[in-house]
Amino acid sequence: MWTRDVAGLRLTFHLAGINNQNFLMRDEETGSYWQQISGLAVSGPLKGQRLTLVESDELLFATWKAEEPAGTVLKDVPAFAGDYAPKDWDVHMKRARTVINFPEHGMKGRDLILGIQAAGASRAFLYDQVVKDKLVKDRVGTESVLLVVGADGQSVRAFKNRIPGVAGAPDFYRLAANKPGVLLMDAATGGEWSFQGCALSGSAKGTCLERIPMLKDYWFDWRNYNPNTTIYGKTD
Amino acid sequence: MTPDPKRRTRRRLKLVWLLCLAASFLAVAYPIYVIRPFRAQGPLELAVALVVTRFRPAITVLCAGAALAALVWYWRVQKRIVWRLLAVLGTACVALLAVAARVNIYELMFHHLDHPEFAAADKVKLDNDEKVIVVKIGDAARAYPIRSMSYHHVVNDMVGQTAIVATY
Repeated sequence: MWTRDVAGLRLTFHLAGINNQNFLMRDEETGSYWQQISGLAVSGPLKGQRLTLVESDELLFATWKAEEPAGTVLKDVPAFAGDYAPKDWDVHMKRARTVINFPEHGMKGRDLILGIQAAGASRAFLYDQVVKDKLVKDRVGTESVLLVVGADGQSVRAFKNRIPGVAGAPDFYRLAANKPGVLLMDAATGGEWSFQGCALSGSAKGTCLERIPMLKDYWFDWRNYNPNTTIYGKTD
Repeated sequence: MTPDPKRRTRRRLKLVWLLCLAASFLAVAYPIYVIRPFRAQGPLELAVALVVTRFRPAITVLCAGAALAALVWYWRVQKRIVWRLLAVLGTACVALLAVAARVNIYELMFHHLDHPEFAAADKVKLDNDEKVIVVKIGDAARAYPIRSMSYHHVVNDMVGQTAIVATY
């Protein structure tokens, strides 16, 4: 998800092509082509410009609705609604063939990964592994990160593993899901933390962990744009 | 023996058509060939295809203009009806390619949204386990169901005062 304001222009995008199964957008205003995954203009008058990333999450609807009861949801367009995908579209897509493959470390092209770029490094986390582990404490380059699975067992968020005022990477651990809204505790402040990454108790109460952008993607696509990526649990 | 000047002119005009037809066809067909689904795109061929895409409206209009001028000229120097009809057909093909050069097949196939409409979270009919892409800017929280995003792929939106494009 990207902002549309760049180089003093407000752009309107169309899906206008494909590059190794990652789509290309064309803006109406200049006719430049932009790569979806990177936000980089790859051709046209704005070539070399980059869109600014907008922080986003992929969550289950119930989880989001509980967090944002006043939020709004994109309405179906009646003319096209009959052609919309089933809700398990990403599972169906796992069977689609890929045109580029990077079969290293036992990875398959359509393996779903969570990709993080930080501190000049990139790292892929197998989605199924993260969901199984529920809490992943790891490093991306020099950045200490936390991947937290929501109470729904499918939604995942990533944070920098730093609490303001606490030296070093705090030691978080996951709580049994018996207290609504609470997922984690940390040893340094003794606080309880929510899926939004905010302390609900303890000396850090009221502070939130800094979010770190994370992309849910297929392995072939992530690896194509992150040739030096490492893989959690496989390349350490 | 002196060559027939009209015959020489006719030959040159036929060459103009062939060049116009070939240039227009390449300008339209090459990007379609390179940028098509389920085919790997190399960096160089993709870059060339995108440059061709950018300039093909101008290229094909120039070709169509040249082909039309050649037709008018050819009509004067060619009396045989069959050749005249072929010349008309050739010019029409170049003109059609000039129209086709203005069409992006992907933009016809995929229906991005420019004016998305939204409903309150408690008013929409979504299953609790449906996946949504969510964003929050200031106090405005939005959710884009993957079920519809995997069809539209691109949604040009305003969240508060921020212009964003949601992609999937």
